[in-house]
Amino acid sequence: MSLIEIQGLNKIYDETTVSVHALKRIDLIINKGEFTAIVGPSGSGKTTLLNMIGGLDKPTSGKVLINEKEISTFKPDELIDFRLKNIGFVFQAFNLIPVLTAKENIEFIMLLQKVSKEEREKRAFELLNAVGLSDKINNRPSELSGGQQQRVAVARALASKPSFVLADEPTANLDSETAESLLDLMEKLNHEYQMTFVFSTHDAKVIKRARRVVTLEDGKIKSDIYQNEKSRINS
Amino acid sequence: MILQIAWKNIWRNKKRSLIIITATALGLWGGVFSNAVMIGMWESTIDAAINRELSHIQVHHPKFKDEKLLKDYIPNSDLIFSLIKNENDVKSVSRRVIIEGMILSPTSTSGVEIVGINPIIEKNVTEIHNRILEGSYFKDRRNNSILIGERLAKRLKVKLNSKVVLSFQGLEESLVSAAFRIVGIFKTESTVFDETNVFVLQDDILQLIGNSSVFHEIAIRARSIEKIDTVKSYLSIKFSNLSVESWRELAPEFGLTQDMLYLELNIFIGIILFALLFGITNTIMMSVFERARELGVLLAIGMKRIRLFIMIVIESILLSFTGGAIGTLLAFLTIQIFSFYGLNFSAFTEGFSMYGVPAIFYPELPLHMYIFLGIMITFTAIAAAFYPALKAIKLNPAAAIRTY
Repeated sequence: MSLIEIQGLNKIYDETTVSVHALKRIDLIINKGEFTAIVGPSGSGKTTLLNMIGGLDKPTSGKVLINEKEISTFKPDELIDFRLKNIGFVFQAFNLIPVLTAKENIEFIMLLQKVSKEEREKRAFELLNAVGLSDKINNRPSELSGGQQQRVAVARALASKPSFVLADEPTANLDSETAESLLDLMEKLNHEYQMTFVFSTHDAKVIKRARRVVTLEDGKIKSDIYQNEKSRINS
Repeated sequence: MILQIAWKNIWRNKKRSLIIITATALGLWGGVFSNAVMIGMWESTIDAAINRELSHIQVHHPKFKDEKLLKDYIPNSDLIFSLIKNENDVKSVSRRVIIEGMILSPTSTSGVEIVGINPIIEKNVTEIHNRILEGSYFKDRRNNSILIGERLAKRLKVKLNSKVVLSFQGLEESLVSAAFRIVGIFKTESTVFDETNVFVLQDDILQLIGNSSVFHEIAIRARSIEKIDTVKSYLSIKFSNLSVESWRELAPEFGLTQDMLYLELNIFIGIILFALLFGITNTIMMSVFERARELGVLLAIGMKRIRLFIMIVIESILLSFTGGAIGTLLAFLTIQIFSFYGLNFSAFTEGFSMYGVPAIFYPELPLHMYIFLGIMITFTAIAAAFYPALKAIKLNPAAAIRTY
């Protein structure tokens, strides 16, 4: 069953002197439970594509359907509401709220969803436990390492019980060991909860962990490969 | 949690927030205290006038105030006086004979208002007995005693126990004159009053007039300030053939100036807050720019624009209220201290007394001014946050997230 469906997507950034055709007639279907990497060199359109899927930016033409709803026609506040209910975000620079503790950062998104205090606290504890940070609940982001912050960010992304998680280069600011550990966590969540992950990367070590690899080049899909367990290990 | 985040956010840049909080606190401290001084000064002036001459309410013959003619006295004043005295909300009443006349000394003359009083009853209505500088307040009750103001005494070049002649037109339009001995010299807060009013015993002046029922004025003190209007309207209905006026109508300049003063003081606070508005806007604006990425993330993860707007407005309100609360508290404490000890401007007595302003007065700020101040601070905070908040909600989350 398709969770994300992209049809004939174009994105042109109109600058005053020069216009940039960032995405060119992209067609892509991502199914529920997939663990997909969007890869490609810098400027290939990875982030733009993720922004379109996440409803953070509007396509110039074409359609983005999430759960069969065309989000490119939504009004800004409808999009915000849609993101809150359906999409979990993990950013390259973690982007936690610096004045809140790890637990409060996770609770915050549930607060926006008007989840009860009891439920918020329960779920925040569970998620911190799941990402292995149950001893850091009252630590602020500045008191956590990069890897720990990104784990909190993953927990925050899952707190809203989204349909899928979008992660823009989630390991870019992490050392390789921490990056491996984060990918382990994402894979575990993908296996155990059937959580769909779509993440961008240009790190070869990360790419080999993905079960599906969509490669972009100059705003076009160059290849779309499903890697089996064997090819992933051998690659 | 939004309130909690907003509170934590304003302390991210402690130095910057403290500067604006200090500026707000100092601005309001100075503004509010100077307002309290002005109000205290003016209220003291009104109180002095009420205690000196006006009382709370006065009753006259309807034509008396036109020319202050001797013949325009209150008919049946005995009955009216006793009816008013028995009213529940009336604290004290005094009857006065008021005559426009001349006072003559061996060296000079002056036009004065001769006020015939019963000294014992008058004590309950006005405080002239507490303003005696030399001599006494009709202590011996000798016939033809007179109290004159210090200023008038200087002008007439007379002293205590000097003789002066009062001259006025009697009921039959004949000239009435009599010699009086100065038994007391008074000094009030108003040099104009001291120069134009003399007090004599009611019996003496009535004897000179030749009619014991010629009373021109009934001065009334209500039990409290709040009762003045009730008593006034009641008496107006009861004595519809007479003129019944409260102190505001008797001295309209006081009421008008009081209203104008409150308006001016509110404008003064408004100007201070208007100046602070730019400082607060700048602080919030910088805070929004510095957090562009974070605000973009909030929009991306699902924070509604209206909530983001409210969060920034709350930050501005908290920032303004912290400064406002400190400034108002400091002003409140300063007002309390000076309202107990008073502000002494004795060095400026001469200048102040020209306008009937007491040399010592007590700063005060009515509760409604504090409430108004709170409302003004809230409005300032909202106005200050409006533009930065608008900028924040217009952020493109995708672009803001990539801001470093």
